Parts: sequence; structure tokens; C-alpha cells
Amino acid sequence: MQSEERPLDLHALPEGCISNVLSLTSPRDACRLSLISTIFKRAGESDAVWERFLPSDYQAIISRSTSPVPPDLSKKDLYFYLCDHPILIDGGTKSFAVDKCTGKKIYMLGARDISIIWGSSPEYWNWRALPESRFAEVAELLAVCWLEIIGKIETRMLSPKTIYKAYLVIKFGDGMYGLQRSPADVSVSVGGNASGSRRLVYMCNEDDAHITHLRMRRPELEGQFPKNREDGWMEIEMGELFNDEGEDGEVKMTLTETKSGHWKGGLIVLGIELRPN
Amino acid sequence: MSTKKITLLSSDNELFTVDEEAANQSLTIKHLIEDTEPENGVPLPQVHSKILAKVTEYLIKHANEPDNDAAAKEELKNWDDKFLEKVNHETLFDLILAANYLDIKGLLDLTCQTVADLMNGMSVVEVRKLFNIVNDFTPEDEAEVRKRRKRGTKTIGPSNDQANQSNH
Repeated sequence: MQSEERPLDLHALPEGCISNVLSLTSPRDACRLSLISTIFKRAGESDAVWERFLPSDYQAIISRSTSPVPPDLSKKDLYFYLCDHPILIDGGTKSFAVDKCTGKKIYMLGARDISIIWGSSPEYWNWRALPESRFAEVAELLAVCWLEIIGKIETRMLSPKTIYKAYLVIKFGDGMYGLQRSPADVSVSVGGNASGSRRLVYMCNEDDAHITHLRMRRPELEGQFPKNREDGWMEIEMGELFNDEGEDGEVKMTLTETKSGHWKGGLIVLGIELRPN
Repeated sequence: MSTKKITLLSSDNELFTVDEEAANQSLTIKHLIEDTEPENGVPLPQVHSKILAKVTEYLIKHANEPDNDAAAKEELKNWDDKFLEKVNHETLFDLILAANYLDIKGLLDLTCQTVADLMNGMSVVEVRKLFNIVNDFTPEDEAEVRKRRKRGTKTIGPSNDQANQSNH
């Protein structure tokens, strides 16, 4: 009979089994549960656990990186390093990071990696370096009527079974004009599916006097405003998508304001970020 | 053609017979029978008959894993859920130990996932209570872990773990 022996508790399991249990929780729980006892703490620090929380192809991504990643980090330290330090990949045109709560992949397509209509005409768009930019160059809108920005990324690069949201990451320059006169259309679609999400966004701060005016005259134009980010930039939500197994092909994210015919300028584009919802 | 049978011998000398294909899911058994096949069954002195009965049940069910058949996969998943439904903690831990010793990855993940799910949303104190775990930190260690964890909390989002904080 089993009862002849000392009854087992969870502590009687070898550390490897406790690691296995922790690796099947979440990064947050694995940190939290390390307070249970010393064996949980050791297991919760182990590479076996954090290797499973990191994206499965993290090594291949790091090998494509032009950013220095400190060598000899434990897997746990590497996990948190990649959460806090986006690394540049693909010739410095994209950045990659890990979402702290879920371990899923976050990408930002730099302005040079997205297509900006009229972007190569220096009288319309100016490319320049900014100290607060992670990419070598940002795109600064000088003057256009036709504002159209299109970002594309292959779904297989994203984490599977994940809802992502796409954000245009921007700033408004001192000489900003015209952007507040009409909201822009944003959309996100997957695999050429035209029925992706579509909505209106305002390209200015909510307290802008023009907007108060516009919303009084045209209450049907309900849209979101840019939100402040922790890194000093602002972001406009473009829409969301569900990435199942990454087999759908390509995600297409657009922002357009081509209907009003107004001239506009002073928008600074850092890139488009995709992160798990 | 008849499939080859493998006999397993539990710690309390009970014999279990399974197809070789089922037995081979255990890398430990696979290696043991690669060298020499024992005449009186493969001795598994670390596994009691009560647990080995459960383990062989799992091995037989999982011997032919469906590849692309969604309905069969679903059926197998439901079977897995039921398999551990009425198992008490002690048996669950015994099964983890056996899956670990016998090196059966599928069973190890299934049993560990069950424990992980049990702990989901629980505070540290609740988990200790549920599994009879003694807090073996020295006060200094605990203060240090708590301090580091606090730093972690700030960056990893809000936590529902307030069980260790005093109520006032």
C-alpha cells in the first residue's frame, strides 16, 4: 500500500519537475511563486523555465541583430533584457522586443521599413536623425495633401495564437499644421482580406481648439486620439488582428488622409509597432 | 503480424504488459530494452503498481497519436482531462515522479500542467497551504527575495498576491 510510505508533498518533487511546473505557468506567476520556498526560488531562476517563456526562435532573431546583447546572461536575465531593450534587426530597419507579461514578440517597423507615399520627395518629407529615436532616421512630414502610410509584416514573424494591435508611433513637430483639420482612416488587414478593421483617428491632441470645433460641427466623426507612450513618443492605434498559426501571409496596416484636400505638415513618424493585446 | 509485447515489473512485483510501441514512449524503458530484454519483465523499482497502472493506461491511449485528425485530437484531449480529473494530490505527485523517472514527456507535461493550473490565481500563502509546503526561507532571505520581487512587480504589472502583507 502507498500509505506505508511518507505522504508526498509538492516539495518532494525534484527541482527539475518544479521548474517544469513553473514553465507551464506565466512569467509573472513564475516570479511570484518563487516566494513559496527556496526550491521554488531556485527553480524559478532556472534557464529551463525562462527558455520556455522566451519566443521559440529568439536565438535566430538575436543572431540577426545589429545591437549588442550582453553575453553570458542567464535565460531569465536575457528575458528581462529583451523586455527592456528593443534590439535592432534586419539592417537596423526593425526592432524586436519581448512582451514582459506574456513573453510574446513585439516588433517595430522603422519609418524606412514602411512605405510612405511621396516619402522620397525632399520637398514633401524630410528624413533625419533624432536623438530620441531607436532608428537611424525618422520621417518628418513637411507638406502634403495626400498622406498615406502603409506598413507590412509577414504573419510568421509574429507569435502564434495571439491577438496583436498595431500602432503608428509619432510626434508632432513645432511647425505642425493642417493635421487637426480632418481625421485620418486607419485599417489593419491580414492576408489580403479587405474586410479588416477600419476606423477614424485624430492626428492631434484632444484639447486642440480645431477639434472641439470640428466635433461640434460633425459629431458623426468619432475617432480616437493619440496616446502618450512611456518612451516620450505618442501612438495612434491602427487596429487589431488575430495571428493563428502565422500561415495567413501578410499583415497590412495603413493610415490615410487623402479626402479633405488640406495641406498638412509637422508629423514625425518613428515607425509602426505591433504588440500583443 | 503480431506486435511485440513488453512486460513491466512494478516495485511491489506486479506485472503489466503493453505493446512495444506504447512502452517506447518512455525513453527510460526504451533504453532499458534496447540493451537486453529482461526475462521476467523490465524492473521499475521506483514505481508502485498503483501508479504503474495509471502510467500504462496513459501509454496505451497515447500509443498512436493522431497527426492531422482534429476530431481525434479533441477526443484525446478530453480523455487527458478526464484521466487526471479525480486524481488526488498525492497520486498526481507520484505520477509526476514516475513520468520524470520514466522520461515520458507527454505525461510529464500533462501532470505538471495540472499542478500549474491548480496554482493559477492563488496567492503564495494559499499555494503553501494547498500543497503543505513549509516556508523554509530565513527571514533575511525572504526579505531579499521580496525586495527583488517588488522591483519585478513594478515592471511586470499588478499582482494579486497580497497574502504576505500584513492587514492594517
